[in-house]
Amino acid sequence: MKRSWRPRGLGSLAIALVLVACLGVGVALAGTTRGGAARAGSNPFAHYGNITLNVWSADNQDPGPEPVIKALAKSFQKRYPNVTVKLKFYGLTDYLKIIQLGLASGNAPDVAEGNQGFATDSLLVKAKLIRPLDQYAAKYHWYKYYPPGTMAQFRWTPDGKTYGRGNVYGVGQFGQSTGVFYNKAKLRAAGFDPNKMPTTFSGFNKLLAQLRPKIPSDQPLAVIGNKSGYESMHSYGLVQGAYVPAVSVRNWIFHVKGATYETPGNIKALTLYQQWFKNNYFGNDYNAVDENEAAAAFAKGKGVFYLGGNWQAQVIRAGLGSNVGFMNMPPGPSGKYVAVGATSLPWHVSSKTKYPDVGAAFINWLIAAPGSAKLMYSQNQVPAILGAAKPPKGQAYIASISNGWQQLVRDNGLTLFPDWSTLTMFQYLGSQLQQLTAQRTTPQAMAKAVQGNWNAFDKQIHGK
Amino acid sequence: VTGASREAVDSTQAGIAAASRKRDAAARPRRTSGRAPGEPHRIAWLFLLPGALAYGIFTLFPVVQTVRLSFYSWDGITSKTWTGIANYRAIFHSNEIRYGFLHSAELILFYAVLSIGIGLLLTALITHVKVRFLTFFRAVLFMPQTIATVVVAQAFTWIYDPTGPLDTFLRHVGASSFAKVWLGDFTWALPAVGLIGTWISFGLVLILLLAGAQRIPQELYEAARVDGAGFVREFLAVTLPGIRNELLVAATLTTITALRNFDIVYNTTSGGPAGHTEVPSWLMFENAFQFHQVGLGAAIATVLTVLISLVALGISRFYRAERA
Repeated sequence: MKRSWRPRGLGSLAIALVLVACLGVGVALAGTTRGGAARAGSNPFAHYGNITLNVWSADNQDPGPEPVIKALAKSFQKRYPNVTVKLKFYGLTDYLKIIQLGLASGNAPDVAEGNQGFATDSLLVKAKLIRPLDQYAAKYHWYKYYPPGTMAQFRWTPDGKTYGRGNVYGVGQFGQSTGVFYNKAKLRAAGFDPNKMPTTFSGFNKLLAQLRPKIPSDQPLAVIGNKSGYESMHSYGLVQGAYVPAVSVRNWIFHVKGATYETPGNIKALTLYQQWFKNNYFGNDYNAVDENEAAAAFAKGKGVFYLGGNWQAQVIRAGLGSNVGFMNMPPGPSGKYVAVGATSLPWHVSSKTKYPDVGAAFINWLIAAPGSAKLMYSQNQVPAILGAAKPPKGQAYIASISNGWQQLVRDNGLTLFPDWSTLTMFQYLGSQLQQLTAQRTTPQAMAKAVQGNWNAFDKQIHGK
Repeated sequence: VTGASREAVDSTQAGIAAASRKRDAAARPRRTSGRAPGEPHRIAWLFLLPGALAYGIFTLFPVVQTVRLSFYSWDGITSKTWTGIANYRAIFHSNEIRYGFLHSAELILFYAVLSIGIGLLLTALITHVKVRFLTFFRAVLFMPQTIATVVVAQAFTWIYDPTGPLDTFLRHVGASSFAKVWLGDFTWALPAVGLIGTWISFGLVLILLLAGAQRIPQELYEAARVDGAGFVREFLAVTLPGIRNELLVAATLTTITALRNFDIVYNTTSGGPAGHTEVPSWLMFENAFQFHQVGLGAAIATVLTVLISLVALGISRFYRAERA
């Protein structure tokens, strides 16, 4: 998952990724020999004759998104028998370095994933490598699937400079939001009923204070990994959401005029977040472990809470079994659910493709094909679209995660990822949060510094 | 961009070679004619051509290209804009990049100074007393050089982990107040990374110094001992002067390794926590490939290359002055 994963340059990992990619291509090729008679029904693409749709993706986790995409490509071929889908999977870090060049090359894929924000999608739009999909958004009812607060992450003006407004350049397939995982057994042991979790943010804050003395002081109450710094953006977003409306965070990411990080609400949230570290809620080794290690430790029974992304659902479930619960962070005074979250990498159609209509149909198939939701649940993925089919009965855990996403979408409460706001914010905000949590900076100084980074980039995109 | 720093090493090594050639030439009597009679002259260039071409295409061209890019603002895909020395100005105005260079200076202490110190101490010991199985120990001590740095970085990440052997050991011996989150600690992360460098470097240093020490005639040691020289005196009077050249090579190589350090940082801390282990190569990579600021990345690479060349030159100057 894009924000959870930063594969290192391990030789072995690289080899594994190459192998996975090769296998992926192999399987995809094998999938092209279709058995059984194609479904009758109209095929609007029949006039193209036999064509191949080249598709690139960085959602290469298996189990996870990759098998979902593969299965959907297969069923797409069944639906449109003259179309052969050729899939190519990459690891994310490699992918982000090649996608611009890939789309600019003579062998550009017809459909490819990008990445929201100024670091990737802005470039693809600016260089006119991907095409606006507004006509298809209308045709396939994407506006119904993605309310304005969710759709904004795919919108750009054609110069790639204004984000959150303008044309729709793609849509994302899976819902990736952050929330609170809790260890029911440990809550019970500490004398709390896991079926009566707090319903307000202040209630949750109180629960933390009550729990702290009941857990050994060398153990964290809430587990996070913050080795790379970006991870604390997720847990901070859960605090920020109680004090700052989602739309102002989005506006800040989109560089709407007058947006600022130095709001009283944000300072309040930063102050409380820092206080949580002073109160020893997070233990002391969070700067040494990364997100995946932290989730794995929580799955092994460390801590009472894990504050982070729903993309860790599978790992945590595998460790804690029926002892794990998930909920969105309970809302602040506004009563609206707010959290860091967005869809998975957006799917784009190349400007060079000869079959943009087939490309758009394929994207629509990925997000909303019949049976796609079920397929996603089976891989512990959450469908991004509003109104997706519910998980099968009896699967309370995946249902809570899927409901969490839907709740945030309905409340227009996804703040998106703050690191999209500038080219360097991923590293900069992470570094500032690490200093804040180590009590090496104040909320005021941090907000000022972060806004300084934002202002510098704002000058770059909007002129002096 | 990455070709640049490699180029610096090549040029440094070439510099060392050239220096030693010069000495050799000075020692030999000069021939009156430039070449043997009848020796083909122009044809030599033809033989040089393939090598020169490869060198030009794969080394010189990328260097020139990197320097050129450093004067542009470029996202790596859309058209470039000439910005003059703006990127260089950005380097000198950025605290982050300045700290990156300072971190490199601190790493030199670990990669070069500390490892040479250990190397000298062991050399002194080994020349003083007869060590059995010396070949075996040499091979073992050289091992760190042969292991891929990614593997080394992973191993040390484990050692430094709060649940790893180092902290476990400290807790067992009752020093749990010294147990730390080494790689995530604002104060200790850089020294922790530096010590990995020491571990990698000192084997190479030792091998170099021992090779030099073995060429010192045994009679000199005997003479020193007859004159009543102790361990320290013997080392200062006999061993140290005998291994000057090797020290020069060791100092140059380890310093360059320290300045170029990327893989260890990338695979242990990724520059964290909060930028406290960021080094120029990392900043170059980050800017060029993650932030899409290719021009700035190229400028950092250029500055780093110049710096490495200057440091290497400085070291050899220093030694030549010492010799004179």
